[in-house]
Amino acid sequence: MKTSGRETARKVQQIKASENFSVRSDNLPTWCPGCGYFGIHQGINNSIQELGIPHHMVMTVSGIGCAGRYPFFSNTFGLHTAHGRSLPVATGIKLANPELTVFAVGGDGDGLGIGGAHLPHASRKDININYVMFDNSIYGLTKGQPSPSTPTGTKTKASPYGSEGNPLNATLMALSYGASFVARLFAGDPESITAALKEGIRHDGFSFYHVYSPCVTFDKGYKTWTNLKKNVHPLPESHDCADLKDAMNAVLDDNFSMGIVYKKF
Amino acid sequence: MSTVDLTIEICGMSGDGTIAAGVLLNEALSAAGFSLMALDSYPAEIRGFGRCVTRTRIGNSEITALSDKTNVLISLDDEQSQSRVPVLTDDAVILFDNKPVTYISEEKALLPMLEPEMNIFGVPFGDLASQASGSRRGRNLAALGGFAALFGIPADPFYAAIKKKFGAKGDKVLESNLKCFDAGMEFCSKAHELKKKRITQLGTNGHSSEKQLLSGNVSISMGALDAKLAFYFGYPITPATPVMEYLAKYLPERGGRLMQMEDEISSIGAVLGAYFAGKRAMTATSGPGFALMTELIAHATVAEIPAVIVNAQRGGPATGLPTKTEQSDLQAAVFGGPGDSARIVIAPSNVRECYEYTLKSFQVAEKYQTPVVILTDFFLHNRVENIDTPKPDINDMKDGNVMPDDSSKNNYKRFENTESGISPRAVPGMEGYIFAATGLEHTEKGMPDYTAKNHTMMSEKRHRKIHNALDDLPKPEEYRPEGAYDIGLITWGSTSGAALEAVRLARQNGIKAGMLRVGSIFPYHADEIQEFMDKCKEILIPELNFEGQLANLIGHLHRKEVKRFNMVTGIPMTAAEILGAVDKVISG
Repeated sequence: MKTSGRETARKVQQIKASENFSVRSDNLPTWCPGCGYFGIHQGINNSIQELGIPHHMVMTVSGIGCAGRYPFFSNTFGLHTAHGRSLPVATGIKLANPELTVFAVGGDGDGLGIGGAHLPHASRKDININYVMFDNSIYGLTKGQPSPSTPTGTKTKASPYGSEGNPLNATLMALSYGASFVARLFAGDPESITAALKEGIRHDGFSFYHVYSPCVTFDKGYKTWTNLKKNVHPLPESHDCADLKDAMNAVLDDNFSMGIVYKKF
Repeated sequence: MSTVDLTIEICGMSGDGTIAAGVLLNEALSAAGFSLMALDSYPAEIRGFGRCVTRTRIGNSEITALSDKTNVLISLDDEQSQSRVPVLTDDAVILFDNKPVTYISEEKALLPMLEPEMNIFGVPFGDLASQASGSRRGRNLAALGGFAALFGIPADPFYAAIKKKFGAKGDKVLESNLKCFDAGMEFCSKAHELKKKRITQLGTNGHSSEKQLLSGNVSISMGALDAKLAFYFGYPITPATPVMEYLAKYLPERGGRLMQMEDEISSIGAVLGAYFAGKRAMTATSGPGFALMTELIAHATVAEIPAVIVNAQRGGPATGLPTKTEQSDLQAAVFGGPGDSARIVIAPSNVRECYEYTLKSFQVAEKYQTPVVILTDFFLHNRVENIDTPKPDINDMKDGNVMPDDSSKNNYKRFENTESGISPRAVPGMEGYIFAATGLEHTEKGMPDYTAKNHTMMSEKRHRKIHNALDDLPKPEEYRPEGAYDIGLITWGSTSGAALEAVRLARQNGIKAGMLRVGSIFPYHADEIQEFMDKCKEILIPELNFEGQLANLIGHLHRKEVKRFNMVTGIPMTAAEILGAVDKVISG
């Protein structure tokens, strides 16, 4: 049966209006072309889609930074909070309505710098929040200053003679804080992100996803697409993610092994 | 019966049972029908290690403030009590232990410092307790017995208080405490028959009342519980901690949950999260913690999230004087935070209002989708008053949130620019109402938008909303209006009680004095305040801060410059001090 163009348009409209069409909102992401965050966005969206979670039952909380804009690009309930504060706000939301699937998203500056006090406590309280850290080792929205995960000696406008201090290892931190689910992932591999999230969302406790992501505009030397593609590889098949000591060793031995690092059963 | 207005102090070394005796004294005098206000001082608060003082003021008419003079001193330790001599009245009654267990040297003794015209009673507290119960530990009870006998107060209210405190500890403990009390009472009834005649016999104040002894801390907590608080998030800080401790005990049995957070920022963050998801939540803090919260408070004003925050002020700035009282966070409460972040600030003046304001604050926060700051202080949190047991007003308990109706489904504007400024608020989980809220300036739908037109429109919307809240906020109260005044006092918070007493005294002295008490600090009732100011030749605003922060806020409403009376002594203002300031203004 032939349908008129108008009818097709109406049907498309209907499908779009139905929530399960896409987790992407109508607002186009404001990230730079080539940004790794598109891959993370896709990974998160697909996890919600594939688990069949109704979009109105998903809550996305963010801090400030390029990743902070995330809620506007997602067709879920969203709250774009103050710099570094996504975890405490997400804690309140999850406690108030345990039916919601709660994501906290933010960058390395947001989560390791200004909001660094919250990761230990969200980890030890083990409330069912999915915290995705978009780690590009740079402050992107303020145009390229060194972040807490920037390698020592990196030259930026704010560190013309090289950045000071040793970079933080967020995966290792989460493990030592007692997070009950820890994954390290690569923005260039959305399928792995989706797979890890699908497991972490169903895990009844705090889940931490440390996602390596390139900043194509301000990072020319460290977490570039070229470097990451060359270096990242899956955790060895023998890796026992139920063993905390194994997990810590794996992270200490190899900075670029990706996958579910630890899961407390 | 003649006017009763007595201030009774118990002073001792820590370990003497001073605070415990104070609690019993307050309970008994309240049960005996007197109006009462009391405040304890702990070691950290008074110079000299280990000194404890309880102060109780009673009367047969309403007591609204503490007095600067002490009529009765019950000394459990000579050396510590020496410091109290300067505040004693000329005809003070002093009970002291004349047979202490350790030798007291001349320079540490209390007796030589006292004036001969005072009514001095040496009572061997320790010996009496020892004879009655086999241990000197009950000497504080013997002292209370002595006090009751000298002032002709029946034993029953004391027995009741002792039973309430020690009943749960078993018959043996209770029995020995009662015996110690009796021993003190018997000794003073017999031994001091003659001297006792000089003391006004109090008896009871008629009606044995239903009144309950409550501190501001407990009153605030009870208000929150009756408002069906779902979540409390907090971080320990003096003097707000007792609210958290009270709720930690009683919130779970009411179906709520308390979580201690890693700092004040996460406390307010979690409050916003819980309220965003549609549940009542609050936190309580003091100045330094409040300063940390201001970014998220401002965030809540623009993302339009309700929250209830108690700021129990202490001496500032910064860490300041943690165990002293001050009213110096008014400006921080009203203006603290980035940008034009108008929020609601209310300030209860007494223990009853601590309950009422807290109960109502949740509804107001929901209705206007904004943080409500309840501004209290150390004095108000820690002082004890006997008030009628607070009962919740059903209307004040109702949910204030306006939900969106079906017509806006699938085309929901979370921040719709309505006439009242209030936009119907959906919560996560509602199908067809998905939105994102943000601390960025945003459109009616919640998308970031920095254009001049939008920022102007949304700023107007939010401020309109806050000013519309005036209808739901406590109106200024004028004390017994008497037409025009030579001087009008405008007061807020815990200083109001002393100011009220000062105005009563001023009127007795023939001064045409008026008083307006302000409960809503921001927004404030400009019309009502101005109307009062217009009736007064001079306006005097007494505040426990250096510059006069309420005067800075509302002073412009007066046709001439308002007069200020400021103290930063860390202790509550007294009526006498405010009266002195009134006299000074009147005499020009």
